[in-house]
Amino acid sequence: MKLGVFINDYKGTVETVNRLKADKLGLIFIQNGVFHATLKENGKTSPLLAKTANLYVLSEDLATRGLTGADVDSRVKVITYGDVVDLMFNDYEKFAWV
Amino acid sequence: MADVKIACVVQRPPYKSETSTLGFTHAISSQVVEMLLEDGQNVIPTMCMVGEGIFNLLNNQKAMENYGVTSIESHGKNALLCDLDILVCKEDLVTFGIAEDRLLDAEDMGADKKLQIVPYSEIQKVMESSAHLLFF
Amino acid sequence: MGTLSIGCFSSLVGSKSLDFTLKLAKAAVDKGHKVNLWLSGNATVVGKAHQKHLKDYSTGEKPILELLEKGVEICECEACALARGIQKPDAIPGIQWNAMHWYLAKIYSSDRVLHIGGE
Repeated sequence: MKLGVFINDYKGTVETVNRLKADKLGLIFIQNGVFHATLKENGKTSPLLAKTANLYVLSEDLATRGLTGADVDSRVKVITYGDVVDLMFNDYEKFAWV
Repeated sequence: MADVKIACVVQRPPYKSETSTLGFTHAISSQVVEMLLEDGQNVIPTMCMVGEGIFNLLNNQKAMENYGVTSIESHGKNALLCDLDILVCKEDLVTFGIAEDRLLDAEDMGADKKLQIVPYSEIQKVMESSAHLLFF
Repeated sequence: MGTLSIGCFSSLVGSKSLDFTLKLAKAAVDKGHKVNLWLSGNATVVGKAHQKHLKDYSTGEKPILELLEKGVEICECEACALARGIQKPDAIPGIQWNAMHWYLAKIYSSDRVLHIGGE
């Protein structure tokens, strides 16, 4: 299955995501999930960034939190709400909210 | 298109948030969805209890006595009575040290269905074979 | 173009997940997709009319009215609304009131479903 996972929190999400298996897995970081795409904890990036090559972060939620594209890990693509819609209809079939 | 299968994945623990309760009630509402669909069409949910979601299944819940609300245990029993499949992640029961005899059942209500304790891999299969996923 | 059904339980003001829901719905309908929005649990509070938009707080009434204008079907759980003291005369006009099977029926004919549970 092609699974798009909306990561909306920073803590308490890694274990759930680690269990999910899909032919194509996309992680879409929104709300406090954007911190996975921008922060290093004790010098280490989020383990979620190694889970799949399909990583996205919502630009509005970055800006809301005072973050910019410059803060985003190079593996993650910055997207808009319109891009989220396109991902939902063109790239993924099912969705999880974690 | 005849039936659409959905996976209701309950991962949130009970009571502090109403989310897991709504997971049960939404799944149970499948019993009446036919009235809004054409003949021969239906929505078939499978409940999948994972992570902290398994805490919803403990028996002997005293929610009505303490909070005046229908217990999640009662919703779970009703779900079984409605012949809904409720899969419970075996690995999570082990992780949290919850014995199977601590879990609800609806035998006293005459339900044929019981909770199904399965490996996570079976829950993954349900997610793969469902048209849509609803994470609670 | 396709059909997207979104179910949201998150509360007005208390959680930006509801704001996200409304923005996503708008982005989808602006791209020509059909959108159904199911509000249950705490999200039903957004269906109450006469919300005052204060700068410290999210607001839902104006976005909701815009979505209805664009043809988005919005339905809230009658039981959840009544439990929260919201009566039909107080509701935003145009929002449907029904039970959970409305959401499942919309899911039946949807191409994509995003369920945004509560916190």
